[in-house]
Amino acid sequence: MSKVKLHNIWKIFGPNPKYVLESIDPEATPSEIMAETGHVVAVRDVTLDIGKGEIFVVMGLSGSGKSTLVRCLSRLIEPTSGQVIIDDADVTAMDEAELRNLRRHTVSMVFQRFGLFPHRRIIDNVGYGLEVQGVKARDRRTKAHDMLGLVGLRGWENHYPHELSGGMQQRVGLARALAVDPEIMLCDEPFSALDPLIRRDMQDELLNLQQSLHKTIIFITHDFLEAIKLGERIAIMKDGEIVQIGTAQQIVAHPVDDYVLKFTEDVPRAKVLTAETIMNPVEGQARPSGDTVPFDTTLEKLIPRISASNGLLSVVDEQGTVIGVLDRQTVLVALGEAT
Amino acid sequence: MAQASAAGQVPEQRRDRKIFVWIAFVGAAVALLLLASQAISALDTFSESWNLGLHEELNELKRWVVVNRNSHPLFVFFFEPLSSFIDFFLRRVEAFILWVPWLIVVLAVFLFAERLRGLALALIVTACLFFMGLFGLWEESMQTLALMVTAVLFALAVGIPLGIWSAQNDRVEQFLRPILDAMQTMPAFVYLIPVLLFFGVARVPSIIATVIYAIPPAIRMTSLGLRSVSEDVLEAATAFGATDRQILRQVKLPLAMPMITVGINQTIMMALSIVVIAALIGAGGLGDVVLKSLRRLQVGQALEAGLAIVLMAILLDRLSAALVQGERYSQPQYQGFRLFSEKQRGNRVVEWIERRINRLYVLFRAASDWLTERVRPAFRRKEGFLSDRWLNNHAHWLIPVLVLTVLAILLRLVGMHSFSNLLRLDISQPVDSLVQWMQVNLYNIGDSGIGTGPLRDFLIIYVFQPLEAFLTEQLPWTVVLFVFVFIAYLAGGWRLALSIFVLTVLIGLLGMWSFAMDTLGQTLVAVVICLVIGIPLGIWAAHNDRVDQAIRPILDFLQTIPIFVYLVPVIMLLGTGSVAGLIAAILYAVVPVVRLTNSGIRGVDKSCLESAESFGCTRWQTLTTVELPLAFPSIMLGINQTTMMVLAMVIIAGLVGATGLGLEVYQGFANDNLGRSVEAGLAIVLMAIVIDRITQQLAAKAAAAANVEV
Repeated sequence: MSKVKLHNIWKIFGPNPKYVLESIDPEATPSEIMAETGHVVAVRDVTLDIGKGEIFVVMGLSGSGKSTLVRCLSRLIEPTSGQVIIDDADVTAMDEAELRNLRRHTVSMVFQRFGLFPHRRIIDNVGYGLEVQGVKARDRRTKAHDMLGLVGLRGWENHYPHELSGGMQQRVGLARALAVDPEIMLCDEPFSALDPLIRRDMQDELLNLQQSLHKTIIFITHDFLEAIKLGERIAIMKDGEIVQIGTAQQIVAHPVDDYVLKFTEDVPRAKVLTAETIMNPVEGQARPSGDTVPFDTTLEKLIPRISASNGLLSVVDEQGTVIGVLDRQTVLVALGEAT
Repeated sequence: MAQASAAGQVPEQRRDRKIFVWIAFVGAAVALLLLASQAISALDTFSESWNLGLHEELNELKRWVVVNRNSHPLFVFFFEPLSSFIDFFLRRVEAFILWVPWLIVVLAVFLFAERLRGLALALIVTACLFFMGLFGLWEESMQTLALMVTAVLFALAVGIPLGIWSAQNDRVEQFLRPILDAMQTMPAFVYLIPVLLFFGVARVPSIIATVIYAIPPAIRMTSLGLRSVSEDVLEAATAFGATDRQILRQVKLPLAMPMITVGINQTIMMALSIVVIAALIGAGGLGDVVLKSLRRLQVGQALEAGLAIVLMAILLDRLSAALVQGERYSQPQYQGFRLFSEKQRGNRVVEWIERRINRLYVLFRAASDWLTERVRPAFRRKEGFLSDRWLNNHAHWLIPVLVLTVLAILLRLVGMHSFSNLLRLDISQPVDSLVQWMQVNLYNIGDSGIGTGPLRDFLIIYVFQPLEAFLTEQLPWTVVLFVFVFIAYLAGGWRLALSIFVLTVLIGLLGMWSFAMDTLGQTLVAVVICLVIGIPLGIWAAHNDRVDQAIRPILDFLQTIPIFVYLVPVIMLLGTGSVAGLIAAILYAVVPVVRLTNSGIRGVDKSCLESAESFGCTRWQTLTTVELPLAFPSIMLGINQTTMMVLAMVIIAGLVGATGLGLEVYQGFANDNLGRSVEAGLAIVLMAIVIDRITQQLAAKAAAAANVEV
């Protein structure tokens, strides 16, 4: 079930974006367009379909247009052309009041540099979205208090943001986004400004929260490891375009080009690749030969299994049907590519 | 190798040749003008027949205003209602401040300051107030305070909304910016002239002049504060669906508050400096005392009133600056009274004093808590105004206000409201005798030729008179004009040169050429002395933290004193006239050049200094090859500010008999020749703009050449 749909989103920065959009040469690279017209093509013809309750990661280097793309979603940046559909409602056609309503109730955002209000206490930062909605002071305090409990910051209500560490500040950012009970959360590199250890904690925390909250999360990052850890699906952006969409395994196993390949090089493949992605598929009905392994067994766990077996493993799906076979050579080759 | 060095020499040589050509050109032009002016007298002295005769038309206008004041719709429906509204407001404020018994005013200010910043500030501001009373100037001080309150409230009521508007709207900003720039170059004195034309002599025109003069910082800082709120925070607010209004109220305004309070502080200080001068057009208050005593040459009394003005300045500056510094801390836990800093911990005497004071405070606190407990049950509301929680949150100011009101009524009833005559510190008589002693003994110490008299005579006979004669009589006006235009061309190109040409000729057309040259001469002398004193001092302070720390409070103090007050002590020593104006101008205007030289040198990139050191530079070499060139833009900015301040003082010194444009304005007032005053005032404005444009362009050019931002 899809929650958010983007159709052919373009964003061009410059004095006359509409004109550039019409006259654009589909083959031209951004630097050529820049040199020719003085315009920056930040997002280029992006079409996406994001499911309800999914963590969808948009990944790319800085300048690849991912932050612009996510801002087009709630029109913090106005797309030059294209359509954004949320729950069958056309966001791009909304007037100002409807748009504000969407931002107040449906979509909330977590920012890379936190975007906390330095002049408000933590509790009032978390309650800000509710305050904007017009919720009464007492109710929003209760809610904000609950949210602080959820992110483990109870007791810090009356402090000011500058008194908290970076990780704690981003927890506040998270609590603030959650306080309005949004259906969609946009996370713009929320953990990039944090130390590696704290970043890992925050990733775990986000996954934890998601297990009970089931929000639709669109998560921006430039860190591929973060992307494969969090994302059910990952879209990789380059020069404003999406070059590949897929699950972590799909991308690691079959990168579409050198750009994507470069990201996957640092990935511990043994932990990402599964039996399903490296097996030799079998057509039609087949009887299991040798031991069976579930399709989602990681390469790491396949190694002891295959060395203990007679050299052949059958891969089965959820129903126990054999969908492919693995031999020692296949496993070793997959592992070899990993190192 | 040889080729490279030859190629390197070529531009250098070309530059040398270019400079040579310029010098030759200037020399030739000046020589030509000098020769031509020998032959054609119109080139020598600015012909009287070119006078536009503006003063006659202006006096006509003034008469028209007087005749039509009660009939013309412009007055009936605009100036009169405005005037009576301000008058009504001012009367109320003044009546209230004078109604409140002096003790309550002192107490209220004490408590307010204590809550704001602690006991130290509270004691300083209370002392300021108390001394105003001791000098026997309580009533006059409160009159000045009432003028200030009224003028500042009006200025903020107009200025802050304008600032908000200009922050939200680029067009408004673009429209206001040049106006504000122009307003800030004009000397305070000039603002009094046009209001006289439309409102006549009274307190209302003083308020209006003050509001107009003091409004720019309120507008500017509000706009700047709102515009500098970080994009991140604004984006976050937008992402949560806040409306523009909500963003303004909940995010922008609170975050801009520190900047806005800086603007308020500046507005207050500017307002004070003009409220004092406005005594000239009948504002009353402390300025009036200074003015009257100066006229009667009662220097002692003038000094008392001058000191009271300084105390008022310190009081207002400290209080409004304390508002600025207010920082947010999460748990405002009250730690009891702390009179001295942490360093004094363990000093027995200090701790003893602090314990006593703290006991008093605890007592007061307990009393107010007890009162809160009694009052509270009377109100049973749960939320909002006058509810339990509201009372609890606001008790900290409600209780003192209540107590003070009750006390005020009581004191009024028993008639103890005016400052007792028994509490009188009379310094006017000792000062008068001191002045007499000085006039007798310091005038010419033992006939040695050293003393204030010879100094004065020397400056007048050997500096001012020759310079004035040189500028007005010997030097043809065309040469002065040429030099101005030429410097303008070097600083800012043809467009600036053209505008300077027009502005300078206009001064002559107003019939003010020789007065302007007189003022220019005094300004030049004062600026040169300021630079000779200020730049070395600034360099010294930049290299020596002790010196920096020692002069910082002095500079702060000099900057707090309203311009007018400088004249009082100077007159004590030197009598009236241009020399007094010169000394006052130096004291008043030396501050920016010291400050900006100091900060310019301190701001030099440490890595530049390190590399200079690594090449084995001596300190002198480092100073001349690295520090001064890099600090030059900042120093130029200091020179710009210093020059503008000198000009302002030289003009105000007209009040005490310094010749030039200021005196012309003043005599126009005195002789009921307002047209003449306006002409002189316009000439001042033109001169201010000419000097400001040129020096500012030089500073900008220097900054561009050094690739430094100032």
